[in-house]
Amino acid sequence: MEALRRLPAPARYGLALLGVALVTALIAALGRFHLANASMLYLIVVLLGAVALGRGPAVAAAFAAFLATNFFLVEPRFSLTVANPEEWVTLILLLLTAVVTGQVAAGQEQRAEEAEANARQSRLLSEVALLMSEPNLDPALGRVAERLRSELGVLAVRIVVHGPDGGLLASASAGEGIQLEALNAALAAGGSEVLSPSGGRWVRVVQPYAGRPSGPGAPAPTLRLLRVPVRAPHGETGEVILAAPRGSRFGPAEVQLLEAVSAQLWGAVDRARLRDEANEAEVLRRSDQVKSALLDAVSHDLRTPLASILASAGSLRQRDVEWDEEARHSFIEAIEQEAHRLDRIVGNLLDLSRLESGTLQPDRGWYEPTALINEVASRLRPLVSPHDLALDLPEELPPVHLDYSEVDQVLSNLIENAAKYSPPDAEIRVSASVADGALRVAVDDHGPGVARDAMPRLFEPFFRGARAQRGGSGLGLAVARGLVEAHGGRIWAENRPEGGARFSFEIPDGTEPA
Amino acid sequence: MSGGLTGGARILVVDDEPALRRAVERNLVGHGFEVRGAETGEEGLELETRFHPDLVLLDMVLPDMPGTEVIERLRERSSLPIIVLSVREAEGDKVRALELGADDYLTKPFGVDELLARIRVALRHAARAGARTEPVFRSGELTVDLERREVRTSDRRVHLTPTEYALLGALIADAGRVLTDRALLQRVWGPEYGSEDHYLHVYMARLRKKLEPDPANPRYLQTEPGVGYRLLEVEADLPQG
Repeated sequence: MEALRRLPAPARYGLALLGVALVTALIAALGRFHLANASMLYLIVVLLGAVALGRGPAVAAAFAAFLATNFFLVEPRFSLTVANPEEWVTLILLLLTAVVTGQVAAGQEQRAEEAEANARQSRLLSEVALLMSEPNLDPALGRVAERLRSELGVLAVRIVVHGPDGGLLASASAGEGIQLEALNAALAAGGSEVLSPSGGRWVRVVQPYAGRPSGPGAPAPTLRLLRVPVRAPHGETGEVILAAPRGSRFGPAEVQLLEAVSAQLWGAVDRARLRDEANEAEVLRRSDQVKSALLDAVSHDLRTPLASILASAGSLRQRDVEWDEEARHSFIEAIEQEAHRLDRIVGNLLDLSRLESGTLQPDRGWYEPTALINEVASRLRPLVSPHDLALDLPEELPPVHLDYSEVDQVLSNLIENAAKYSPPDAEIRVSASVADGALRVAVDDHGPGVARDAMPRLFEPFFRGARAQRGGSGLGLAVARGLVEAHGGRIWAENRPEGGARFSFEIPDGTEPA
Repeated sequence: MSGGLTGGARILVVDDEPALRRAVERNLVGHGFEVRGAETGEEGLELETRFHPDLVLLDMVLPDMPGTEVIERLRERSSLPIIVLSVREAEGDKVRALELGADDYLTKPFGVDELLARIRVALRHAARAGARTEPVFRSGELTVDLERREVRTSDRRVHLTPTEYALLGALIADAGRVLTDRALLQRVWGPEYGSEDHYLHVYMARLRKKLEPDPANPRYLQTEPGVGYRLLEVEADLPQG
């Protein structure tokens, strides 16, 4: 039925008249027919015509039926004289049926169309809303444009949204390259012809390829652009532009749909903008927090060794006391050791910033791990005293491909961490092995162990366990993890069943390609 | 430089930083003090009962308990001078330590001369605490006759209002030591005062105008930022000042 209604007008009128002709032929073939019965047959044709073909064809059918009745069935036959008033009644009845039924059918049709358009609109709008809720504005707009293009069956769609300050906030396009090019060219050319404002919008017919050859003999395609403004509280803020082939039309349903979409666009764009601003503020706030945590940590960490250096250097300078050789030696040793400690803290800070900026690259060479561990241990032993630093190493391990100073720093940080959390005189034990293509080093302490809730955050920068009484920046473990991961390895902590914590790290020994 | 007053005094150093503790211990021994060191608060409290120190140097961050707790427990049984060592910038910590009964504080890192000067002031105070205060206070050009309530700067008589004199008197009673704003307010204005810092600042400015040769760069009445004030005992005048 609907398909029939969509036919071009001449076809529909033709069909209506064909119906009348068929009925007339039927009546003629069957011969004698009572006038009233014949009228009933014509009524059916008009009724069907009104429902299926529309009011116009139905009215035409009514007239044709009246003429046919008069000409073929009513005496005198084959003449068009109306002698009987009954015939007028028949004509009026037929016409009335055609008009009323056609009207009702058309109303029904329109309501069905409206309902469908509404459904389509709300489906599209909810899709747009869903798309626009995505965090990244530009790809979301792109999908909206693509959706509009397929829904409206146009060649290309372009969406442009400006911010309140007039700057371009977001834009997106959909369509094949050549169509988009044509659309953009048309926009740049500003259109060549202004038609009439349709539904409040300017529709322009443009020659996108004007002045540009587009292939030999190819007729320049002409686009019809429909531009729907995007409105914001502060005024027009952008456009949705559709490009359709010349001759295509947009009905009120499409225009309404576009208006609804563009009304939603500003809200979504504005929300996205606010969200971005809020994110930026949050990032700034967080980086402020990190900075102040860093300052606190650094001021504590740097001042602790400085206090020892200053006290020792000041003592050496004092002239009122004659320091003996042993005392002088102890002051100088303290200065030296604490300066080394300062150097490690500064090294950690630099490593952390290099790790965070991603510029840290291990400078690997082949080294024998036990030699490295022995060297770190002998350097740190005076520093961690009175803790006893014990080594549990095989005679010799196969060489491992590593950055010496970085692995040195990892091990130093783990040993210093163990010392920080261990009771005085408790043993700190370092063990190492090479197996399954990896070097594994473990540092065991006799401290309180790691609290369950602290475990996941242990290797985060500036994290300090609740059990840490002595200060510390919380940098050491974070840097250790960063350096180990830069080696393609892993680092972890566990509580030992016999008490205390074990911090281990593992890095590939370099015998197998990564 | 080592005065007879402080020679042989016993000092307990409570600090968990071994390098710093060793340097300070060695320096103090070199200056004729008898010194013991403790790494934890508990160890320090226990040593206090056996060693009977004349003064305690106390780090505010210890492995087993906060420094403030050590101060409280020491104050329950003794009035011996306590000098707090703190690496913290937080003024609130210093004020709290002083209010709990610490006598002075030093912020790490500190110079050893500063440390020795503070130790001597605190010990002198403790020695003086039992005896009557001397009738005349002298610091540089400033002379205060406490019996006759007479104030002079380089022999010029200065007139103070009763409140100004009371404030100066409170500072003299603890000369060389830091006094918190709250402590000064309560001693001069009364126990119901404590947060009216502005009174104190106004009167301190007036005192400086009357007593200091250059009130903008005070020589006697020192400000301890965020904590309080300290009246310095300046050595007897030398020509170059």
